[in-house]
Amino acid sequence: MSFNARITMPTDVRAGEIVEIKVLTRHPMDRGGQSDGRGGTVPRKILNRLTATYAGEPIFRFDMHTGVAANPFVSFTTRAVATGDIVFEWREDGGATYTRTARLTVT
Amino acid sequence: MTQGAVALALAAFAAVPALSEIKSGTEFLSPDMRRQQADETRNPAFFWVEQGRELFSRKPTPDGQACVSCHADPQQSLRGAATHYPQVDAATAKLLNLEGRIEQCRVERQGQPAFGYESPELLAMTAYLGSLSRGLPVEVKTDGAARPYYEAGKAFFERRQGQLNLSCQQCHDGLVGQKLRGDTVSHGAGTGYPAYRLEWNDVGSLHRRLRACSLGVRATQFDYGSPEYLALELYLAGRAKGLPVETPGMRR
Repeated sequence: MSFNARITMPTDVRAGEIVEIKVLTRHPMDRGGQSDGRGGTVPRKILNRLTATYAGEPIFRFDMHTGVAANPFVSFTTRAVATGDIVFEWREDGGATYTRTARLTVT
Repeated sequence: MTQGAVALALAAFAAVPALSEIKSGTEFLSPDMRRQQADETRNPAFFWVEQGRELFSRKPTPDGQACVSCHADPQQSLRGAATHYPQVDAATAKLLNLEGRIEQCRVERQGQPAFGYESPELLAMTAYLGSLSRGLPVEVKTDGAARPYYEAGKAFFERRQGQLNLSCQQCHDGLVGQKLRGDTVSHGAGTGYPAYRLEWNDVGSLHRRLRACSLGVRATQFDYGSPEYLALELYLAGRAKGLPVETPGMRR
């Protein structure tokens, strides 16, 4: 249960409307540096980037650093253009990525 | 220093507030944090509630029984259950809080090893079961079999302890609303626990919070689930009678 995401946004909007997208993430955002008990230190393991694309177009990017709290919450807006998927991708230290998709229906 | 000591000594004689005056910890939060607590889309503790809901319906072993096989339709059957804890277990005559009851069920009914106090699983289960009572008033029993535990908790609350020689009562009755280390002293109602504390970046149990308070007055920190903290938890719940359960809460 190290990663989980809760994406909140309206599902049905009119074309041209401003859509608020809220993204709450469950992640410990371990900034590392603590002793591992064997003489070494625990490496940093945070989500270092969140990107969102809407119908293939990048609409949002958030570079995260060690100052970002655990379980980060971000909110941003975009303009509804056409029905399509909004794809969220998180990049974690170590190369792992997590993806979530939300459908935006534009009428 | 001397002035501070005098102020504390005076506070010790402050009148004990009537139970109706006890306010929830939420009342002492900033408006923004209150909104965040109420908003499922922004309160991170709901991840734990979600995990607890999954654990509740998952079989611990392929041929084992999930919690839902006994507690069908928990939204109905367990709504309000958390408002009665801590309570005295009829079979063992011991005081059990919600964590203790979950562990008892897991060990005796499910035949599984206990999750362990403060494990993510137990916190998730407690947060989930607590959330089923959201908005319902606390109604613990403080008489009958629970009386001695309640009295022990009250004595703990009123006893001066630690290097700073402070009792819980001096701050949580006498200095309520005043500032301490950048936070506001509250009545110490545990109605939001397990809660997401910004200081922890994590969900923690009431006993974790009590340990932090013990450390704050440089007193002995008792173990998670210790009889001392269980009795205190019952006393605090007794003080908070009638206040709505807010689990999962958010605290600074």
